[in-house]
Amino acid sequence: MTSGLTRRQWMKGAALAGTTAAVAGPGLVRPAQAAGTNLMVVQWGAAWIDVSKKIVAPYEKETGDRIAWELHAGGAMAIVAKIKPNWPNVPYHVISCWDPVFSAMIKEDWLEPVSVAEMPNLKEIPEIFFQKNAKGQLMSVPLSTAGAFWGYRKDLVDKPIESIEQLLEPRFKGKICVPYPVNLTGLLLVTLAMQRGGDERNVEPGWEFLKELAKRGNIGRVINNNSEFINAMSAGDVSVAFFNNGGWSVVKDRFPVTILNRLKDNKGFLYNEGFGILKSDRTEAAKRFANHFARADVNEMYNIPLGSGPTNPKAKVGEKAADFYYTPDELAQYAHVADFGYLSAQVNDWAKRWETEIVPLLRA
Amino acid sequence: MRPTPAAWLLLVPGGLLLGGLMVAPLGLLALESLREFVGGRVGGQADRPLTLANYAELLNPAYALYFWETFRIGALVSLLALIFAFPIAYVAARTPRRGLRKGILGLLIAMLFLSVVARLYAILMAYGPTGPLKGIAQLFGTSASSAAFAEVQVMVGLLHFVLPIVALTLIGTVQNINPRLEEAAMALGAPRWRAVTGVVLPLAVPGLLSAFLIAFAMCISNFVVPLILGRGVVLFVSNLMYIRFSEIANFPSGAAIGIIMLVLSFGIVFGLTAVIRRLWPAAGGVR
Amino acid sequence: MKRLGDVVASVLFVLLFGTAVLFLVIPLAVSVVMSFDAREYIGPFPPPSLSLHWYEALWENTAYLDGLWVSLQIGLLATGVSVVAGGMAAVFLDRFRFPGRDALETLFLSPKFVPTVVVGFSILALCATLGVRDGWWRLLFGHIIITLPFTLRATLAALVGIRRSLVEAAMILGASEFRAYLDVVMPLARTGILSGALFAFVLSFDEVAVSLFLSDPFTTTLPVALVAEMRANLNLTIAAVSALFVGLTAVAILVLDRLVGLDRVIGYGIYRS
Repeated sequence: MTSGLTRRQWMKGAALAGTTAAVAGPGLVRPAQAAGTNLMVVQWGAAWIDVSKKIVAPYEKETGDRIAWELHAGGAMAIVAKIKPNWPNVPYHVISCWDPVFSAMIKEDWLEPVSVAEMPNLKEIPEIFFQKNAKGQLMSVPLSTAGAFWGYRKDLVDKPIESIEQLLEPRFKGKICVPYPVNLTGLLLVTLAMQRGGDERNVEPGWEFLKELAKRGNIGRVINNNSEFINAMSAGDVSVAFFNNGGWSVVKDRFPVTILNRLKDNKGFLYNEGFGILKSDRTEAAKRFANHFARADVNEMYNIPLGSGPTNPKAKVGEKAADFYYTPDELAQYAHVADFGYLSAQVNDWAKRWETEIVPLLRA
Repeated sequence: MRPTPAAWLLLVPGGLLLGGLMVAPLGLLALESLREFVGGRVGGQADRPLTLANYAELLNPAYALYFWETFRIGALVSLLALIFAFPIAYVAARTPRRGLRKGILGLLIAMLFLSVVARLYAILMAYGPTGPLKGIAQLFGTSASSAAFAEVQVMVGLLHFVLPIVALTLIGTVQNINPRLEEAAMALGAPRWRAVTGVVLPLAVPGLLSAFLIAFAMCISNFVVPLILGRGVVLFVSNLMYIRFSEIANFPSGAAIGIIMLVLSFGIVFGLTAVIRRLWPAAGGVR
Repeated sequence: MKRLGDVVASVLFVLLFGTAVLFLVIPLAVSVVMSFDAREYIGPFPPPSLSLHWYEALWENTAYLDGLWVSLQIGLLATGVSVVAGGMAAVFLDRFRFPGRDALETLFLSPKFVPTVVVGFSILALCATLGVRDGWWRLLFGHIIITLPFTLRATLAALVGIRRSLVEAAMILGASEFRAYLDVVMPLARTGILSGALFAFVLSFDEVAVSLFLSDPFTTTLPVALVAEMRANLNLTIAAVSALFVGLTAVAILVLDRLVGLDRVIGYGIYRS
């Protein structure tokens, strides 16, 4: 085994010795430790971690399990890159994911299949939300329906935006905030491509549009995660952006925001978020934990501050999510579900194209 | 005197560390840089034949731009650092007032103790779009949201990072110039500024050059400053490498960039040191 | 009699000096003020109202304290290893002359010029190959290699100033060369070695790029915890951390001055000692 174990053992020993001394001193007896499992969960920062901590506090008391959190940093692949060199010796048990990360993890065979038998709350969630592996097993615990949209701060934009073609106008010089193309698995390029008649498999028109925006100096900020997005939009140095509803939801709490989710000539993106359970020796506790989040009332509480839609039909939809809750007719007209499996295989090339074709224009 | 066989033992601990923690890891890095990468997967494919594709890809002229930007900003900041650091160093080295000297030394050493991240965050607060000093950046003719503004911020961050180190280095340089020389020049009727520019500065040239090189080496390999202050627009070569590691999990390409950075860094530092040593044999070079 | 040139030059000089000092200090002052901002987000300076809520948030976030603890452990251990290994190599390089000596010195100093991201990435590759998955050991490895050239250089510089004749005198008086080094040379070189060690510790304590590659979720250094928070959850708790840092640093400098004397850390050079 690695020498790391000895150090941990040593530290444990030292801690134990310390405790023994403390206990022996005043002659008190410590209450027996509740029989629980320690779980390491990777979650996004900002609103996600806040609401998760709120949900987990009573859960820890109830079950005796203890949850430690780590925050995602950067794009979808960041956590995957962190796990890969160490697999199967990774400290994580549950990972908050969205569609493209699920498909990457299923491809690497890291996820534990889930079933209604072990996680009764899953039976309420429609099957369409689940990610499946080649064998047809359910591989994800879907918690939210979320989306990525264009939007702007009403207080900073003088006349309303009706089409993202308008973003080329000089009034938006330096005012547009976009995610780094790897972030959101390249959805930025897809939305720009769709504006010009393309889609995820034909992104050339999207690159052309992006080049025009960059050449005019209208892109003022490139962000890489929710936190950067929220801060950029709060600071007010940029006024228009393309990002996910979780980010928009926080900005909306502070400033008047219009989300462009019903554009005549473009579409918003919908996808699912949820928990992936990594193969480990603690899958039982991990499933218990994820099952709790799938319960109708918890699912409702989880999604309201995120501004996302619950996957459990018994949960109420929050006000902020109502924005992009499309009726079935609207769904076809305004929403697009991208092929994330395809997209995540493209981001490597897109990142390089961004570096070689777009960044030089941004700097010019 | 030649080392005795037993004396070589003195080199064993350092040699093991150097071999195990520098030479071997760099060898592995070189190997990884030759692996093939498949989009959507993580890391290099160990079971495929080795390839030079990761290097070939970097031949795209657009990547030269990143190297050029990194070097240009690094050189500019190092130059600014010399200009601002020299007065500080001169005062600290020559002042008869102990309190002033201690104050300067305290401030400079405090800057080293203070985490770079905390300092960068402070710069973000002060010069950023919500900060009270954003007007200063706008003096350079840029609006608070343009790419040029990001570049100014990166420069401010780098300057804050290297200035204390350069100043501390230069204190040593000025201290080792005999103060009698200035006194003699002034006794012969030269005004003080002539004594400083005519006597001290020329003697300080080797020290200034080596301080410049230290600053330059620190700037061009810097990674956190553009990460935090670059607004995603100013990217240094090291940031490209980190993106490959953390965002697209393309380790082979990241490794190839790393090897190129290593070669350039060694080339610049040792090449320039050799030049300096030839011109000023007394200079120690970058050590 | 003051000449015009001197006046102009002095004004310029003071201006440059003052700008540099203000440049270093003002951002820190701004972030200290912002740490008392009552708003929930990072808004324009100055804060409209004050509150301690970011300090409360800091109190609840154990990541920083855990990070501080790891940073201290790694910093002290890496410095210790580097001082011993670098010191031994420095004695060797100082004492002996042989073909290739200069090349050897350059080799020992070369880690200084390996870009830190490259150090981090390559040590990670090494650890993955060796199966070392514990962030604590990875961090220690990385921090040893970045501090080694600095302790070696400082010791070498301190040794160069010490006359060879002192060692010979001690040996004439019957000391072995080893004892002569231990009893005569080391005490004389102590200040130099100490300031090298101090610099190595500060370097390690402040290191971000190497640590970003090598830390794991259970073992994170303070700077990495800060960067992670800035990227995942940027808010003014970090301003509160910075403010505490400023305070602690001020105390550290005062203590350092009392214990060693700032002057002695830097030295007076060869013309005033």
